[in-house]
Amino acid sequence: MQVFKAMFKITKKRLPSALAYIIVFIVISVIASSNASKDSKFEMTKLKICIFDEDDTSESRELSELIAQNHDIVEIENDRDVIIDSLYYKRADYALVINEGYAEKLRAGDTADIFASYCLDESFSTVYMGQFLDEYTNSVKAYLSMGMPIDEALSCTEEALSQETDVSMLRNDKGGDAHYSVDFAAYFQYMPYILISAVFIIVCQVLVTMNRRDIRFRTNCSCISSSKYTFQLFLGSGFFVLAVWLLFMAVGVMLNKEMYTGRAWYAVFNSLIFSAVVAAIAVFVSSFEPADNILNLITQVLGLGLSFLCGVFIPREILSDKVLSVARFLPAYWYINANEMIADVIPFSSEGVIQCYLIQLGFAAALILLTLLVRKVRYSGAAISTNVRKTAVSH
Amino acid sequence: MENTVVKIQDLVKRYGDLIALDHFSLEIKEGEIFGLLGPNGSGKTTTINCLLSLLSYDKGSIEIFGREMTPVSYDIKKEIGIIMQNVAVFDELTVYENIDYFCGLYIKDKEKRKKCIDEAVKFVGLEDFVKFYPKKLSGGLLRRLNIACGIAHKPKLIILDEPTVAVDPQSRNRILEGIQELSRNGATIIYTSHYMEEVEQICTRIAIMDKGKKVAEGTKDELKRMIKNTETITIEILELPDNVLRDISGLDHVYDTNYSDGKLSVYCSGGKHNLLRILDVLQKKELGFGRVYTELPTLNDVFLEITGTALRDKEE
Repeated sequence: MQVFKAMFKITKKRLPSALAYIIVFIVISVIASSNASKDSKFEMTKLKICIFDEDDTSESRELSELIAQNHDIVEIENDRDVIIDSLYYKRADYALVINEGYAEKLRAGDTADIFASYCLDESFSTVYMGQFLDEYTNSVKAYLSMGMPIDEALSCTEEALSQETDVSMLRNDKGGDAHYSVDFAAYFQYMPYILISAVFIIVCQVLVTMNRRDIRFRTNCSCISSSKYTFQLFLGSGFFVLAVWLLFMAVGVMLNKEMYTGRAWYAVFNSLIFSAVVAAIAVFVSSFEPADNILNLITQVLGLGLSFLCGVFIPREILSDKVLSVARFLPAYWYINANEMIADVIPFSSEGVIQCYLIQLGFAAALILLTLLVRKVRYSGAAISTNVRKTAVSH
Repeated sequence: MENTVVKIQDLVKRYGDLIALDHFSLEIKEGEIFGLLGPNGSGKTTTINCLLSLLSYDKGSIEIFGREMTPVSYDIKKEIGIIMQNVAVFDELTVYENIDYFCGLYIKDKEKRKKCIDEAVKFVGLEDFVKFYPKKLSGGLLRRLNIACGIAHKPKLIILDEPTVAVDPQSRNRILEGIQELSRNGATIIYTSHYMEEVEQICTRIAIMDKGKKVAEGTKDELKRMIKNTETITIEILELPDNVLRDISGLDHVYDTNYSDGKLSVYCSGGKHNLLRILDVLQKKELGFGRVYTELPTLNDVFLEITGTALRDKEE
């Protein structure tokens, strides 16, 4: 097990920098998963608005009260510099000035120049508030044109604008299982990218060191067979990937605030199988001895590519059929497929999840075979075309 | 009669249209330090790679220790040590760990391995550096580590592929002495180089390669006897009349002369007292001369005469 031991020693030397990466990844995934539950709820956005009522009539006060019902009113000195500063430092999102003559103009159905506002740019709050004021004045004008008196028009407008629409999130059913919360599903959802990045950064670099031309030359001259050497590389990579996976699982327990139970075990096994796939990809890629910069590029392309194509970052519902049909040939697709079944995003069936496991294992097996083939062609002793005679292997 | 350790017969290796080895044959006996001499591209490394089954070949056969060498001849590989021009060690492992790794590819037994590592460390004189990382070692010490990694498992056949390239003279001498000691301890050594002085210094037998062919083979004396030139006499002389140059050219055993920049070069082939006879001609003509020196033929002269090109010129 010389190769395995050497791999272990080299990994140990690189561990401090590797740990930094892993910790960063864990923090990112914890943040990402803690944000997941927020995505499943809808709530009205409240803006911080300051109102300067220069008209000071019952009509203008009524508008101010209506705004106050839906937003937070902040008190700011009516000074241009102070207002600009407040907007800049986000103490207020929008400053509304109800111009003098507002009530009079509104009664006459004239809405030109009844408001002034301060804003830094065309931000969301500017558009949101502008739309509200347009809606309000248009509504009042509509009621007035119907012959209503101003008091009644204002109260009808207030009533109409106070109506709320029920909003339900499409993915709110995610995490339907009692043992598999929304947060937890998100934690496993992002794991492919994190695993690929963490494993590639460490395992691939160690493997590239092991596969360095001069070292490989010397190793090939020794009496260790190519398949034994490759087996030990797989074992070393698997050992490290397993350690990283266990770390992620331990963080998962902390995040879930309880041990894995029920359906969560499916997700745990799913991630373990995907870890094996990642280890196989890492050994395969390193067989080509990429340079450091190429390796970083491959890590990004594989990490981001698989994540975007297979629905790690983007929900698969919004991916086109063409993209999904390509993604079917990638292992991360089947990982996400199993994960979505476990999270009840698509109907759950244990057979379906196991099928996803088997497909992922198939990818891992194919990659191992490809690696053996590549190593045989690139590294092992020559296949002598003449007088091929395999002698007994003895060590 | 010594046993044959390496037997290469009629080896042909092609890279497309290029013939890297052209019906190359070689036989190396047990205990020899066999020098493989030739310029870059002459086929030395291809020969070594074929010998180690790292390259397939188109025709011919290779036997090591009397058995056919194939990529899976691990019982043969077990007895071979390889030391390359480039230092092949792990930067992340210490001197001891590096030797342990490469030795461990051959020797499984921990106790036996430890003994071998300690002996290898002592042999190359790295006792004080076992806990050092390669990056902390000087160029010479790195080369010694490279050698230790190749010989720790006590191979019977050691292949050294230009192990002294870019090494300071002190380390070079130590390495060459080490190779001779390995030979005294019973190892058979194949030494490839384009440094003729080194090959002359340590090799018991030499093969000269050019364009994938073996152009000459023998001990250094045998090789030198193969060529016409046995002695080159150089005399510093300010003026040399043409008739005197003709007289010298006409002397027995002188086959060529050259006078330029105040230096007379006389090329002799065999014969005795050539220098005395030339000086006699000069004294009779009452011509004064300065320094006089003679040079015996070098391997470069052998190479020059056989191939028509100087060995060093071909490097470029």
